[in-house]
Amino acid sequence: MTAAAALATMTARRSLALKRLVGFGLLELAPAFIYLLSAANLRADRALERAVDTTVALYFPLLLPIVALIIGAGALGDERRDGTMSFIVLRPIPRWIIGGAKLAGAGAAAVGLNLLGALALAAAYGVLTGSWDLVGPLAVGSIVATVAYTALFVPLGYLSDRAVLLGLGFVFVFENGVASALQGVASLSPWRLGIVALAGLGGSDVVDALPDVALGDLMPGAWGAVGKVVVLVAASIGAVMLLLRHRDLA
Amino acid sequence: MTDDPALVEAPTVVVDGVSKWFGQKVAVSNVTCSFGAGVTGLLGPNGAGKTTMLRMLTGLIDPSEGTVEVLGVRPRTEPSVYAEMGLVPEENALYPDLSAQQYVRYAAVLGGVTDADAAARRALQVVRLSDVAHRRLAAYSKGMRQRAKVAAALVGDPRILVLDEPLNGTDPVQRAHLIDIFRQMGDDGRTVIVSSHVLEEVERMSDRVLAIVDGKLAAAGTVPAIRRAMADIPYRVRVETDRPRELAAALVSDARVHGVSIDDHVLHVETEDLAGLGRRLPAVARDVEARIVSFRPEDASLVSVFRYLVHRR
Repeated sequence: MTAAAALATMTARRSLALKRLVGFGLLELAPAFIYLLSAANLRADRALERAVDTTVALYFPLLLPIVALIIGAGALGDERRDGTMSFIVLRPIPRWIIGGAKLAGAGAAAVGLNLLGALALAAAYGVLTGSWDLVGPLAVGSIVATVAYTALFVPLGYLSDRAVLLGLGFVFVFENGVASALQGVASLSPWRLGIVALAGLGGSDVVDALPDVALGDLMPGAWGAVGKVVVLVAASIGAVMLLLRHRDLA
Repeated sequence: MTDDPALVEAPTVVVDGVSKWFGQKVAVSNVTCSFGAGVTGLLGPNGAGKTTMLRMLTGLIDPSEGTVEVLGVRPRTEPSVYAEMGLVPEENALYPDLSAQQYVRYAAVLGGVTDADAAARRALQVVRLSDVAHRRLAAYSKGMRQRAKVAAALVGDPRILVLDEPLNGTDPVQRAHLIDIFRQMGDDGRTVIVSSHVLEEVERMSDRVLAIVDGKLAAAGTVPAIRRAMADIPYRVRVETDRPRELAAALVSDARVHGVSIDDHVLHVETEDLAGLGRRLPAVARDVEARIVSFRPEDASLVSVFRYLVHRR
């Protein structure tokens, strides 16, 4: 096993400690459960609308960022708090590989958990309507948004002890407040990147079912969203590399 | 040959005019020294700046002023040098959910060691943890955790080993064993830098000592040289008596006494021969019919000794 793989594996393993796995796992099933209760007797077109509503109201702006925030901020933040940072930093590993491996490990753990929620919701929709069209778009949207959040929160976790608080502020004040009111800054909102990918892959039915506030002026399209996430990931790795090189490890 | 005992021939680690401050607090002030083959003890009281020094040596923190070079490069910007370094930090730095075998193996993989499993087994054998290698670190005693950290530092077979208070929490048997390991590594020609606030501990581990206090280099050299320097220090002794003036007059004529001051019923006596003064005092007191209520050194702690050395240096 290479150093990068070992770092990523250990990060994912620490991110998915049993208690966290059970807690987040149950939380991830909540949107699907709520959807099943609320859409049980609806027509197929209304059922799709309700499924999209659930993703826009509960899953993308609430559940997904919180899971990505806690796991992402902990990837380097927990090492710093637990005093194990020197254990990984004093190794003959290029700093960008440490950043990349940490991001990969935390991203994989967060994507795994968030995919559970996305697939459960898509499965609930499939059970009620017999259509499995939402599986792919929801999965891709979930991966795009989760990776974007993880890329933001990994460096933040290293930078600040209050990363979770700052992250919550970003999600609830900026994304769900400012970006909802000012459509011009909506493209800076990671969960909207997920919605953009979902809409791009889900087709016109999904786009029509989306409320205005979710997509705003953004154009549906999976590739554009993926491209933005790639840039975000590169910036995140660069930020971690610079932090490890220039910031004292107190 | 270098005359400065803080410097060595053929150094592997060079510290040049290094200072470090955190806001208003100066943790290390203008320290120049070097380290080479063998064990060097970094001695000083708690809060003296030892850990800050070690963290700068390993590149965990950057000096505010001056430079640190390990094998000719700055570790902070050349992480490849960490293949030649091992660190035992003072803090726990453990993953409690891992077994010792997994923990040391992880260190080996991150260090780029080929056959990490075998290297981990060997390192655990050296610190005598083989029998309990599969137990979780959370279940280890403090001394066992300390040994696991040492194993993780040794697993890459480093040329330079940096140990921050490595004997903390170990029992006497474990301590003796770890000291043997460090000495052996020094004898093998490796650079071993070990910090401690206990002189006796450093004396058992190392031939060369750098004493540091208040962030400054207080003394450097062999342990006997440091001990000699410490023996020359004038002590201040507090003597409480019912006839301070008479006793002071009698003591002033004693060759061992450098000075006496009176503060109510208390004499403050300066001497280089603490034991001699202690033996002589009852006879002097008897001669002037003074009663000694108490007699104790005022500042014989390691801190005050080192502070004196800083001023003298």
